[in-house]
Amino acid sequence: MQPEATLAQADVSDLELVTRCQNGDTEAFDELVTRYRTRVFGMIYNMVHSEQDAWDLAQDSFLKAWKSIKRFRGRSSFYTWIYRIVMNVTIDWLRKKHIKGGGGEFDDAIQLKEVEPASKTVPKSEALPHEIMQRSEVRARIDKAIAQLSPEHRAVILMKEIEEMQYHEIAETLGCSIGTVMSRLFYARKKLQSLLRDVYENI
Amino acid sequence: MKTFEENWTAWLDGQLSGRELAEFEASLPDKAAAEAEKANARKLGALLKSELGAPQLRNEEFFTRQLRERIMRESSGPSVEHEAKASTWWTIPRLLWMGTASLAVFLIFTVFVIRDKNPAEESQYLTQILNARVDPGVSPNATVSMFEAKQDRVTVLWTEGLQSLPADYAAK
Repeated sequence: MQPEATLAQADVSDLELVTRCQNGDTEAFDELVTRYRTRVFGMIYNMVHSEQDAWDLAQDSFLKAWKSIKRFRGRSSFYTWIYRIVMNVTIDWLRKKHIKGGGGEFDDAIQLKEVEPASKTVPKSEALPHEIMQRSEVRARIDKAIAQLSPEHRAVILMKEIEEMQYHEIAETLGCSIGTVMSRLFYARKKLQSLLRDVYENI
Repeated sequence: MKTFEENWTAWLDGQLSGRELAEFEASLPDKAAAEAEKANARKLGALLKSELGAPQLRNEEFFTRQLRERIMRESSGPSVEHEAKASTWWTIPRLLWMGTASLAVFLIFTVFVIRDKNPAEESQYLTQILNARVDPGVSPNATVSMFEAKQDRVTVLWTEGLQSLPADYAAK
């Protein structure tokens, strides 16, 4: 896409671009990709923790979006719609990967009492004083903690804390009820709190 | 009725207000511990927000170009979805078309063949047949038939079973 075209389309709404896409305009789709590729990639990266996999999954998500763009009716924002596709693609991929890897169940069924005691699952904070802890180490700790969440719990916590989405937007994106979103948030937070307590208390 | 988990999450995110908030806070056994937990949850949120900022997508233009090429490639070849649609599209019209054609052939056959077999059209005679008994006392089995050809302006009178010719039929 030419830079001029991007500038000229900067004021065009997502909905207008979607309408043009529905008429087969690939340049309009390029513009939508340009608008959301970084956020989509970032979201997927935080879910899968691999740049290459995030790249591939972002490509698959946008390709799927293009194929089904004619079914977009504008009931939600394009952003919510594309996120729904991204989440479906990523969660499916995580589940398949988990099955292939022979992993056990995710933590959906873990009860509060099982995730509460931080001292049993986390090294003592004295072992990693924050003065010497590099940013990359913090990131690695967070990634490792998030990797212990089920795909659905990962999605919910990231959409809430990073994307600052509302409950109803998350519910719409994941195709579940608001109550389910709140319940998943509860367990995801408890789990991460128990795994990362020493990190956030020492920063 | 919200579950405890739902109420707790809403409370942490500041989504409870009024009566709901008062009721929930009253139900907490240890308000101070709950407040501490809330503060921890907020710290966790801040940590995630600061550390999980979206990583930079390298080669953004290449990303878009690669995607465009995939779209072009998939658009040029018939996709599975398209084939499935095409298959569905062909089956129904084909059935409709065959049904319509069969009906048309049947109607044509019916109109032409049956019309051709109509005796009124096939014969040059108008079959106006008069069956009449002639004096049943004298000739109980006698019949009289009359055939009329309008085109040739001819009428033929055919009699059977007469024992004697009635006086009325005698040639004058």
